[in-house]
Amino acid sequence: MDIFSNIVLGLETALSLTNLAYCFLGVLLGTLLGVIPGIGVLTAISILFPISFHLDPTTALILLAGIWYGTTYGGSTASILLNLPGTPANAVTAIDGYPMARQGRAGVALFMTTVASFFGGSVGIILLMLFAPTIAGFALSFRSPEYFALMVMGLVAASMVSTGAPAKGLAMVVVGLVFGTVGMDMYTGVNRFTFGHYELSDGISLVALAMGIFGIAEVITSVRRVNVKEIDPATLTFKAMKPTKEEWRASWGPMLRGSGIGSFFGTLPGTGPSVAAFIAYAFEKRIAKDPSRFGNGAIEGIMAPEASNNASDQTAFIPTLALGIPGSASMAIMLGALLIHGIVPGPNLMAEQPSLFWGLIMSFWIGNLLLLVLNIPLIGIWVRLLTIPYHLLFPAVLMFVCVGTYTVSNSAFDVWVVLFFGALGYVMRIFDFPAPPLLLAFVLGPMLEENFRRTLLLSRGDLSIFVTRPITAVILAVTLVLLVWTLVSNARNRRKAA
Amino acid sequence: MQSRDYRDILAGLLLGIAGLAVTIYAWNSYEMGTIRRMGPGMYPFGLGLLMVLLGVIIAVPAWSRSGPPIEVRIYSPLFVLAGVAAFAYVIPHAGLIPAVVAVVAISSLAELKVHPVSLILLIAGLCLLAYLIFGFALGLPIRMFDWSF
Repeated sequence: MDIFSNIVLGLETALSLTNLAYCFLGVLLGTLLGVIPGIGVLTAISILFPISFHLDPTTALILLAGIWYGTTYGGSTASILLNLPGTPANAVTAIDGYPMARQGRAGVALFMTTVASFFGGSVGIILLMLFAPTIAGFALSFRSPEYFALMVMGLVAASMVSTGAPAKGLAMVVVGLVFGTVGMDMYTGVNRFTFGHYELSDGISLVALAMGIFGIAEVITSVRRVNVKEIDPATLTFKAMKPTKEEWRASWGPMLRGSGIGSFFGTLPGTGPSVAAFIAYAFEKRIAKDPSRFGNGAIEGIMAPEASNNASDQTAFIPTLALGIPGSASMAIMLGALLIHGIVPGPNLMAEQPSLFWGLIMSFWIGNLLLLVLNIPLIGIWVRLLTIPYHLLFPAVLMFVCVGTYTVSNSAFDVWVVLFFGALGYVMRIFDFPAPPLLLAFVLGPMLEENFRRTLLLSRGDLSIFVTRPITAVILAVTLVLLVWTLVSNARNRRKAA
Repeated sequence: MQSRDYRDILAGLLLGIAGLAVTIYAWNSYEMGTIRRMGPGMYPFGLGLLMVLLGVIIAVPAWSRSGPPIEVRIYSPLFVLAGVAAFAYVIPHAGLIPAVVAVVAISSLAELKVHPVSLILLIAGLCLLAYLIFGFALGLPIRMFDWSF
């Protein structure tokens, strides 16, 4: 099939009434939860994850993906108006967005970040359409050792780039792998770490784990911390949103460069939209003629990161869909949604489920268009949302967490599991252990173990198989270099700081 | 600042203890097998050892550097988690609506200020929302009220 007929097939799927409605619902809910500070993208997806269980897999994925890129659009609103990032991916946008708002240019900033988001998202989707099939074709020759090596690289990279000490990120990867072993062992049928609870023999519920370590832990840390500030509505009229010619001219370059940087970092394992936005901002500042403007309301400082984080949102689907290996915790949830519906993503997905694959991609276009159309007239409503006091909001979040988890399999046991992971998530925050690597490792864990054991079965117990297969050896060598380099440079920095 | 990085020392220690527990439990309870044909215990056994190793890597350098104080909140986790526990306990015995009332009422105490009127309005609103979304729109088979104490 050529690309044209794929696009037609995708449009047919994405434009069906149900899928269109859920795409709309997804981006709307995503924007809404993205606007509200204290609810990150992972919390948003995990709260709404249970709803997707009752849909068919394509629709479920369209909904979840809409929430995922919708939060990144919405997150810039709080960054600009309150200097409080709605999601971590928008944190950099606050550096120049908030000064713009204080100069009375909030309307322009909100309008232009929406444009940048759409532009970056479009670049990301085009690259996804071009490269995902190629990469999948290449990956058809991959066997267990290659998959094992790729997963190890993804996990190591995810733990290295997350904030804080790399050893802590790695520790969370290992803890996530341990949680991934809970349940029946696929080779021997032995129940591992179930402690007599038959509910655990299918493994720990992904929903319960994600809701606990993200939703509950986030509420615990945000209560009595998040405050609502005053916003001047006069800066948010349609007239105030119109950018000047100067501002347009200054925006093209950062938008293009931001999209490029974001697309690249989106495909790498471990680097999500937050890293992409940060690097795009740093790059603009480095090449600017007058770097001192940055931090004082430079429009380049909001365009580059917003184009970048949205581009990376889209290209993050390349490894997830083409290889079946998610690069970040949010992508791991997408993968989990597919697995729950009995679909195994990987190089064969495009051939076996073309309507799912291309339907999802075409829904990205529709979703991004909806966001562009939606955000500009609705900014007033989003702003009013920001003034809902947190003491009314967090009980609602907890209600959705509890009911959502319960309804997945009508099981109160899963709610107790949420409680366990909520407490664990809070303890992890006390000790500054990052949560995303844990979730990623939890989802990849069973696949990692399966490929590891199968590799050694194939090689008759000979460990040298990991260095004699060229692709495997290269991937593992890159991983080792990354690991050593990060640990050494981190130790050196710490010594300097001390 | 504190003279030693007690946060990381404790973090490494906890991780090491948890790792040791995993290792010992896997060793005692499950078949190890061979490298070629691994039993169910081999992989978790290895992961447990890795946890211990990482615990050491985190804790040892923390001994000789200063660190931030450990900040622990007491009331927020207490009330939030108690609310979730109440939901889990109530829902099989009394149905969805009483469980929603329980989680909202208990977790709201985490604010440490009670506004009776807005709390009652919030509870009523969220019960209605729960019914509309999960009962009416999604049509899930959950009992709204189910007294079986």
